Order: sequence, then C-alpha cells, then structure tokens
Amino acid sequence: MSASESVTVDSDTYWPADVDAEEAIVTNWFVQPGTQVQEGDLLGEIQVEKVAIEVTATTTGEVTALLVDEDAAFERGEPLLSIAPRTDE
Amino acid sequence: MVVVTRTQMERMYEDMVTARRYEERLQEEYLEGKQPSFDISAGPIPGELHLAAGHEASGVGVCHHLTDDDTVTAPHRPHHIAIAKGVDLKRMTAEIFGRKTGLAKAKGGHMHLYDSDAGFACSGIIAEGCPPAVGAGLAAKKRNSDAVAVAFLGEGAIDQGAFFESLNFASVHELPVVFVIEDNDWAISMPKERVTDVSDGSQRAGGFEMPGQRVDTDDAVAIYEAAGKAIARARDGNGPTLLEVQVHRRMGHFMGDPQTYRPEDDVADAQARDSIERLKSDLRDHGATSDELTTIETSAADRVDEAIAWAKDQPAPSPDDAYTDVFTSPPRGVADQAEAPSQGGDD
Amino acid sequence: MSQQDVAERELTMSRAMTDAIAHEMRADEDVFYMGEDVADYGGIFDSTQGLLDEFGRDRIMDVPISETAYVGAAVGAAMEGMRPIAELMFVDFFGVGMDQIYNFMAKNTYMSGGEVSVPMVLTAGVGGTYNDAAQHSQTLYGTFAHLPGMKVVVPSTAYDAKGLMHNAIRDDDPVVYLFHKRLMGIGWMPAPDGPKTPVPDDPYVLPFGEADVKREGSDVTIVTLGLHVHRALTAAEQLATDGISAEVVDLRSLVPLDTETILDSVRKTGNLLVVDEDYRSYGVTSEVIARVAEHDPSLVTSVDRLAVPDVPIPYAREMEDEVIPDATDIVASIESMDL
Repeated sequence: MSASESVTVDSDTYWPADVDAEEAIVTNWFVQPGTQVQEGDLLGEIQVEKVAIEVTATTTGEVTALLVDEDAAFERGEPLLSIAPRTDE
Repeated sequence: MVVVTRTQMERMYEDMVTARRYEERLQEEYLEGKQPSFDISAGPIPGELHLAAGHEASGVGVCHHLTDDDTVTAPHRPHHIAIAKGVDLKRMTAEIFGRKTGLAKAKGGHMHLYDSDAGFACSGIIAEGCPPAVGAGLAAKKRNSDAVAVAFLGEGAIDQGAFFESLNFASVHELPVVFVIEDNDWAISMPKERVTDVSDGSQRAGGFEMPGQRVDTDDAVAIYEAAGKAIARARDGNGPTLLEVQVHRRMGHFMGDPQTYRPEDDVADAQARDSIERLKSDLRDHGATSDELTTIETSAADRVDEAIAWAKDQPAPSPDDAYTDVFTSPPRGVADQAEAPSQGGDD
Repeated sequence: MSQQDVAERELTMSRAMTDAIAHEMRADEDVFYMGEDVADYGGIFDSTQGLLDEFGRDRIMDVPISETAYVGAAVGAAMEGMRPIAELMFVDFFGVGMDQIYNFMAKNTYMSGGEVSVPMVLTAGVGGTYNDAAQHSQTLYGTFAHLPGMKVVVPSTAYDAKGLMHNAIRDDDPVVYLFHKRLMGIGWMPAPDGPKTPVPDDPYVLPFGEADVKREGSDVTIVTLGLHVHRALTAAEQLATDGISAEVVDLRSLVPLDTETILDSVRKTGNLLVVDEDYRSYGVTSEVIARVAEHDPSLVTSVDRLAVPDVPIPYAREMEDEVIPDATDIVASIESMDL
C-alpha cells in the first residue's frame, strides 16, 4: 500500500449553486485523523445559510487533518480537511 | 348491477335470524342475576351490553360480499356484524360470558371481540375503528391484493374527528375502504337531528372525492345491492365509498337502558318495521315454502342455543391471567441477537 | 480516554437512526415510514433524511395533518402484518391522536388475549431548550411510560439510537421511540458534545430494559435519560474537580425499566439524584425513587430529583433556562446533598 502526500479537500467543491453567501460553518465531522475512507464516503456536514450539505470524500485514503473545527466558520474556497490518497495494490 | 339470488337471500335470512335470536337470548342471560335492582356488574354477563336487534340487515347486506381476507372493524354494537362476517360463534359467546376459552381469553369482553381468522375486530370508542380500517386498506393496496376493508359506524360517529380524517386519508390515497354508517337515529338518548347537521350522513362524502349513498329502507336486499357496488368499486381499485343505511334499534342503547327519552311511538315504530319479516316476505315471493323457512329458523335457533350452552360450560379465567398478554414478544424485544458490538471509544 | 486503535467513523444520532431504518426497509418490504413532511423534507428533525431517494414516496409516505387517521392507519396496517413506523412530528401532538395510541395501539394485544399483535414503531421528536414554548417543547416520558401496553425507549447517543431502532422495528409489539430534537445533530439546533459517537456499519440490536452506565463513579448515582445524560456527564466532569465521583446511569428504556442497574448503582454509591426533562410530579423521577424505596429504602442516604416543575414550559429564554435543569443545576443539587 503506498501513500502519497495529502491532498486538501476544498470547500468550494460543495458550495450550492444558487447561494450568495460566502461564509459557512462546519456542523459535524464524522471522521478524525487516522480514519480510513473510500471515495464517496460521508466525512461531515457543513451549513451554508439554511442549507445543510454533505461533505463526501473526493478520494480513497486516510484522513490526515481536519482544517476547520466543528462549529467554526470558514470562507468559500478555504480547505476543509486533508486526505492522504491510498492506492490499493 | 348486483343481482340477488334466492340462495343469497336465504343465506342472509339465516344470518339475520341467527343474529336476532342471539341478541334476544343474550338479553335473557344478561338480565338474569341482575335482579332485584339492576346491578351492572352482577350475573353471568357483567358490564355493558349493546344489542343489535333491528340492525341485522346491515350486517348481512354488507358482509355477505366479503371473504375472510377482507377486514371489518365494528363499533360497540357488533354481534350482527360478527355473525355475518363468520366469526367463531362459540368462542365469541364464551368471550361475552367472560370465559377463558373466549376469543380473547376473557380479556376483551363483548366490546372488544377479535377474530383475525375471520378478519373482524370491534372496539368501544366512537369512530375509533375507522382509522384502522383505513390502515387495512392501506396494507391491501401496498401488497397489491384485492382485499377490501369495511368500517362500520353509527350515525353518531360521523361527527367525530376520526371519521373525517379517515375519509380524507382513504380518499387522498385511493384506498379500498367502504365506510358503512348504520343510522338508527339515536346516539344513546340524543336523536340525530339534535346533534348532526345533515339528515343524510352519506352527503358528508361530498367534502371528499368519494361517492356517498344512502339506503333509506331497512331492507337487506337493498343494502346488499348498494354494498355490492361499493365493495366492487373498492376491489377494482377505484377507491373508497361512504354508505349510510337506515336500521332500527329495537332495544335500548345498552341493556338496562330504560329508554325514557324515547317517544313510545318511536319504539313501536321500530318494532313494527322488521327487516327480518320483510326479507321473509321477499323469500316467500321467490317461492320459499313455510317448511323451508322454518328449517332455517330452527337451525339458527339451535346454533345460537348451542353456542350459549357451550359458552356457559367453559372454565373461568384465573385472576393471574390478568398479567399476561400485555406484549406478544419478550419485553426486551428481539433478544436473540449476538451481543451488540462494543462501541470503542470512551466507555 | 479513547481506546480506539483504528479511528472509527462517527454519525449524528439522526444518521444512526436512518441507517437502521434503511437497513430494515431493505430487508423487509413490510416496513414503511409515515409522517408529516417525512418525504421531501426528510423529517423536520432529520428523522428520514435521505430515505426518500432510496425508497420512494410509497414507502416514505407524507401524510395529511391528521394524527388520529394516520396513527390509526398504522395500527390497522400493523394488525394486517405490516411493520409501519409512524411519526409524531412533535410528541406534543399526541393529544390529537391519543385514542388510537393508548386505547388501540397499546391495548389491542391485551384486549385480544394475545391473538393480535401490533408490530409498529411510533417515533416522536421530544424536548425543549430552543424556546419553542409550551406546546412544542415537551418530552412526556412519563405519560407514555405510565400507560400499559407500549414499550418506550429514549436513546441519548448515535450508537444507542441505531441499536434501539433495529430492535424497535423488529419487535412485534408497539414501541414508542422518543428522539430528542437537540441530540439529532441538526444544523439549526446544534447538539452538545456526546450524542455523536462511532457507530458500527453492521446492524445490531440493543435489548430494551437495559440501562447503560455512561460514566462510573462511587459517591453519587445520577439516573437520567435523553438530553440530560449529556448534561449529567458535564456535571460529573465539574464535580470530579471538586472531588466528587458521580456515576451516570442512562436509562435508555422506560418500559421495560432496568431496575437492577439502578439498584446496583445505589448499592455502590448510597446516594441518588434522578434528573428528568419531563414534569416533576407523577413521572420518571417518582418512579425511579419509588422502585428503590420499595426494594430497600436503606440503600440510599440522600435522595433528590431534578425535573421540569409542574408548569407549562415558558417561552422566554430566562424562564425556559430556569425550568429545564442544566449541568449547573445538577452540580448544585449534588453539592447540597449530604454525601
């Protein structure tokens, strides 16, 4: 199993199309550094205005860091977490 | 067009005569042991008893279109409906007499008769049987079966919230349900016109996308025809119907009811219009002989007497029986699983 | 504190519930969910999030605002062998359909001598702390636990929620499953720390009638449920710094009630505080204390209870905070006990 450098998961990926707000909060994290995830797995939830959005894994691998704390605010474009991609042999 | 054959008429006559005899015999049994002054909890049948003498046409006219797979809910005046639906008469009688081998092991009594083999349940809160009948219709629809559900109710029940909600629910979901209002003009002592704003309860269907029909005559054949249409409509997937049928309450609301509120001529009028006599006369017009009719009557009377004799011979429950049957499965629920996996983390 | 060797994935309580529901619905066509706004909205308190997409409108059914009709329909469908889950959006709405609940759902089995069963779940959102006032903030634990014929469960964590939901759906009796709105993990009503826990992927069943010691202690037993499990845990942390070791017993199930675990705990600590978010008189706190007393009153030296007083829940924040006990109130109660 080889691990490469962590990639960050960017909040812009999940921003809903027709919302003007540029700020949001992380409502829930379901993973922590060390959790193994598959692409598409549910990692957490963010809330943009009244809309709740699922944050799903963009790649298979291991969570290396949560970059925004739960209940904390962040701006559109900021990275949310990092994952070290894993390619299975 | 629903055609009534002579055989069907004979079957209806048989169940009507059985029901009438049943109520008359129960009245005798009930009042025994309650003398000298009426003590409701004394005697072989304690508690309230609501007899349906005069309602027989409704029971047969509707239920003779139904099979065991169809579900009927009935109110507190249920015996004629139970008989027409094919409920186990002996066990029903044992239940009414409070015996251990009754339908509910004596825990329900006359107002709470359940026979799921026959697709029958009754209960004592007004209009309460409507939502579960709707639920049975819902189950039938989800399973794509052609079973139908019938909710019987009195004319006093059409003012209750549960009735309106049930009509709406059945209508919006197009469920195979028929609501049958048995209009005997009296909600205990309250005459219909004092408490209800319509004289034809079937008009309440007009507030929903549902046909309504009233059968004005206490006539088994007329009821049979109207019910046949409604039940076929439900079976064909075309949704619910509201039927109202005129019947007559020949006895008091409950046994012991002195009926002082009821004008004498009203009672006499009820006694005079006997739907059983009417069907008997119809049968004669169809060629039935006196002997044939007597055979039916005798067999019905024997069946009733036998059921009552059987019931009175059944054992009483023991006091400890009161503690069982609250739940069907263990209180802890599905306890046969392997131990739940440990949670991990901070225990 | 954590003993995980692998960092497990956590879920909110609502996701743990829907996880169990989805699993049971896949396994058995007779299971379906009915309630107000459960389809497109996914439940006002997230109780059916994501289920419509997988199961469709036939099995995740929106119902008209008619608790008598739809709860009664659930009873009728259950008596035909289906396994409906009917939801009261707010437990406070029970009054609208109470006859079908306590006179039919709860009693059909008994009144039929065991001939029929009613294998349904009645879920309901409970609880205050967000200023929804008297008609939308109740828990009513005591009301449902008091009336015979219904099993009553109250999860406080995601892990418990999933195991109890599997059991509730599979049980052949009516189960009243009361989920606290504040514990669900809803964006607009943030949960405290605590209800979000690791949850196994596979199904599992938590038996009813088994309380859970959420924190061990030796000086005083706090028996509680729902949201107040977490308030009690917070209080216990505070008390520990004052040298008082509090044991927190999460009831999880009111009917049946795990008297043994309560007794084991007070046998150990000798002091009892019962904390409840339902009304004080004639309810959970009375019942727990009565059970200890009728078993052996000498087991406890100090006994106290904290509950919502016998007043309707007020609207304004100052007053709602006053009537619903919080961690500070729990600490104060215990510190004034003669331990």
